[in-house]
Amino acid sequence: MRRTTSKTLAISVSAAALLAATLTACGSGGSTDEGVTLTYWRLAETNEATGAAFEQIVADFEADHPDIQIQVEERSTDGHKEALRTALGTSGAPDIYWSWAGPGIGGEFVNNGGSLDLTEYYEEYDWESRFNDVSMASITQYGGYHGIPSGFSGAGIYYNKDLFAQAGIAEPPTTYEELVAAADKLSAAGIDAIEFGGTVNWHLMRLLDNILETQCGSEVFDALVRNEASWGSETCVDDSFAEFATWTQEYLIPDWASLDDAQANQLLFSGQAAMVIEGSWFPQVIQNNDADPDAFGVFPFPTGTNRLYGDTSNNYVSPTTEHPDEAAMFLDHLTSTESQTALTEASGARSVNVDVVSDGASRSSLDAAWDEIFDESEGLYAFNDQNLPLAQTTEYWRILNAVASGDIAPDEAGSQFQAFIDQQS
Amino acid sequence: MSSPTSATAVMVPRRRRRARRLRAALPFLGPALVAYVVFVLYPMVESIRLSFFEWSGFVGAEQTFVGMRNYVRLFTQDTVFWTALGNSVIWVALSLAVPMLLSLAFAVALDRKLPGRALFRTVFYVPGVLATIAVANIWRWIYNPRYGVSESLAQTLGLEWLQGIQWLGDADIALYAIFGAFVWQAVGTNMVLFLAGLQSVPPELKEAAALDGAGAWQRFRNVTLPSLRPTMVVVVVLTFIGSIKVFDLIVGMTGGGPAQQTQVLALWSYQLSFANNQYGMGNAVATVLLILVIAVVVPYMLWTARREQS
Amino acid sequence: MTQSVAGSRAGVTPTARTGRRHPDRPHTVVRWRSVLLWLVVLATAVLWMLPLAFALLTSVKSEADILGTSLFTLPTSLDWENYVEAIQTGNLLQAARNSLMIALIKVPAGLLISAAAAFALARIRFRYSGIVLAVIAFGAMVPVQVAIAPLFQVMLALDLLNNPLALVLPYIGFGLPYQVFILYGFFRQIPAELDESAMLDGAPNRRLFFQIILPLSKPALAALFILDFVATWNEFGIALVLLQRQESWTIPLAVQGFQSKFTTSYGPINAFTLMSVIPVLVIYLMFQRYFVQGAFAGAVKG
Repeated sequence: MRRTTSKTLAISVSAAALLAATLTACGSGGSTDEGVTLTYWRLAETNEATGAAFEQIVADFEADHPDIQIQVEERSTDGHKEALRTALGTSGAPDIYWSWAGPGIGGEFVNNGGSLDLTEYYEEYDWESRFNDVSMASITQYGGYHGIPSGFSGAGIYYNKDLFAQAGIAEPPTTYEELVAAADKLSAAGIDAIEFGGTVNWHLMRLLDNILETQCGSEVFDALVRNEASWGSETCVDDSFAEFATWTQEYLIPDWASLDDAQANQLLFSGQAAMVIEGSWFPQVIQNNDADPDAFGVFPFPTGTNRLYGDTSNNYVSPTTEHPDEAAMFLDHLTSTESQTALTEASGARSVNVDVVSDGASRSSLDAAWDEIFDESEGLYAFNDQNLPLAQTTEYWRILNAVASGDIAPDEAGSQFQAFIDQQS
Repeated sequence: MSSPTSATAVMVPRRRRRARRLRAALPFLGPALVAYVVFVLYPMVESIRLSFFEWSGFVGAEQTFVGMRNYVRLFTQDTVFWTALGNSVIWVALSLAVPMLLSLAFAVALDRKLPGRALFRTVFYVPGVLATIAVANIWRWIYNPRYGVSESLAQTLGLEWLQGIQWLGDADIALYAIFGAFVWQAVGTNMVLFLAGLQSVPPELKEAAALDGAGAWQRFRNVTLPSLRPTMVVVVVLTFIGSIKVFDLIVGMTGGGPAQQTQVLALWSYQLSFANNQYGMGNAVATVLLILVIAVVVPYMLWTARREQS
Repeated sequence: MTQSVAGSRAGVTPTARTGRRHPDRPHTVVRWRSVLLWLVVLATAVLWMLPLAFALLTSVKSEADILGTSLFTLPTSLDWENYVEAIQTGNLLQAARNSLMIALIKVPAGLLISAAAAFALARIRFRYSGIVLAVIAFGAMVPVQVAIAPLFQVMLALDLLNNPLALVLPYIGFGLPYQVFILYGFFRQIPAELDESAMLDGAPNRRLFFQIILPLSKPALAALFILDFVATWNEFGIALVLLQRQESWTIPLAVQGFQSKFTTSYGPINAFTLMSVIPVLVIYLMFQRYFVQGAFAGAVKG
């Protein structure tokens, strides 16, 4: 009995060992004997032309470096954020990843050890002279050099020219009062003045952010998001929420709470809603959805502060990567004048590379309008989900959705948010 | 229970016999215990431990001991916790009422020789076989405010009151709309359990009651229902555990919104840990969930066990 | 099999058992009631099928049809492009391969491990077997989310993240309680005399387990096998946390990922969802009786 028991035991143990060995062998690996594979995580590319240009850039790099392979993974906005949060710092982390640069997202990654300091590579490749000031500011804001600029964008109000004409709006609004008046005219004409998707939180958030900047001005806005001023005591906060409530109850599409951004934007494309706040990347989205970009115009939200609403995004290198040199090589190639020119030509968006001049080729009137907006604005204020720490962002979203559906009174929203901030620290 | 041949049993001292049994049991029990301890028990204990700490979840980051602070915060200051708890309770209560009654009714209806009975059984059971996340997507489409069922009905039949209903966007009805999808899934599986239970009701009892002049309803109440008690216990426990765990369905249909109004404990715990990088708080919610389950299931099972004995 | 005392048997000569029919039940009223019941059941069944029917209908419509016409209208032309698009952009086949790999390893291995554990607890009674059984059964009550965050850390420490095969380990762990409990009850019912005959022949536990207990348990094992296969295929919560890379996704993750990436592609979304449930449907239709048997094992004390 004893002999057979230990035999069984031996068999069980070796079976378990075999299983364990198989599992680890089947795990994901970063390099083979033949070469290096770099994983690069980014957002799903919606523009076909840009996607093709990017693939060409990758192919060119791989051709020049036969021993390096780039494996690209694309996800939706929220999927990408979640994947990064769970993977960074682990063996499952990608070698390179794209991320928004603000303190709420990119900053979290950097502060929790998810980004490799690239100071030595900045010296080696002399990258600092390659990029514009706004982008470089986002790289150095956490100390050292984190990430390499990928893009920067602005966001403003896109509007349907026909619907504006129908409502008798002759010119895009230049003050906040004119904007409200325009929304009134649209409503009177039976048109949904503005659309946003509520299920993705960060879409509707843009409206509140801009109203906040309008009512509070740049200084107070900055103080608020840095938790240096109190959301509960600043009167402009109550005013902002009150304005926001008016917008959501009178001018916003009725089913905003059930739609996400893509579904809501479909209403803009089909002429069922007149306005939305979207970014400088939006002209391509319009084209992807078989709508004509020239049917739309864009103007900055009339905050009165002349600051650009937008964000910067960078490509970061994970400190767990086994191939930092190769990653740097690839990023150098990606941000070279040649590559960036190709990307700009395809997307129409401004490049972070100062040597790249965007010319007329695939640009629509919207892209030209953006040039003007970029040139005329001074300073940048980012989307609040990038300014605020994660837990505050979740709460910010909850409150703004509740105000929009009328569940929280506008004059209580600010103090509720401040109460949350207070107990977080 | 047989022991090794009686001759040897007399001669080997009890302790050695027990030790031998333990050694004999080990190779059979071993793999199970390893898997269970490493991947279930340890994480559970660790979860409770982490609830007393503050941690961002990133590998290099520090874990700071904060004692009961997470719980205090949860119960007094967290703006979502009470909604999540309330919704979980509502969900459980509804699950024990609606799908249970419906599935019992369906089981009774299908317990007789109806033509097409097997087909009916399949129709009701199939939704329970599908992945919950697939069910969530199917129903999300049905609830679409512009192209879904209610909107299409409003258009084709001219029913204006059906227009513009935000099944998943209106905080007042969203939870119940999701529950509709849950009923669709849950009725079939419970129905099959009840069918099995019904088939174990001794026919002699029913016939005897019929002979005594009992009507169909009285037969049901006095003969069938009592015989179904063991099945009921199983269904109630399974339903309770399944409903308090609800996660996939909410993730797939609303993600907890609008404005966190369809949050439930399991999802809020997940979001706190993985979306907010607040592992301490997330695990505190998870621990509350665990305590809730234990506090309900264990007494219930003890109570039924005692009832069985008497 | 229960006998219906009333209903469709009305009008037939009395059964041998009872010796006489219930005297006061007129034939026509009874007939009516059954027909009505059948109609109600039929109507309910049709209603029950509608969600799937709508999904199917939408999946073959072109985008113009979906956005332009109501949910109920038949498509102007059958657009199978949705399915092609779903397969191409959704990594469906890769996810299917992952799910299949996991299920093919986890289900047999898990069942064997559970059976072995149940055998040890039911047959080789040792001092703490009662406690061990209780501890294991306790696991059935634990919602996965209670352990999910630390589980992630454990898998991270073992360097098993993003490895579909690695899911097998926690799956086995969480599948144990239910299976062990059911098999424990089943094994206890196997007469002890069979044990004794094996013992007298000098057969060790291993032979008892493999050659006597397991073969006798085929019905329970088959039922558990099928139920577990489906449950493994459909699992979402653990996979969501442990599989970050798209190439490692299982079917449920792929369905959710597709839906969140292409929210306005209603046709392909429905196509993708339907394709993802086909394997489970096929299994159910082929092995229906095992699902029912599984219910028997669970519902009736034993």
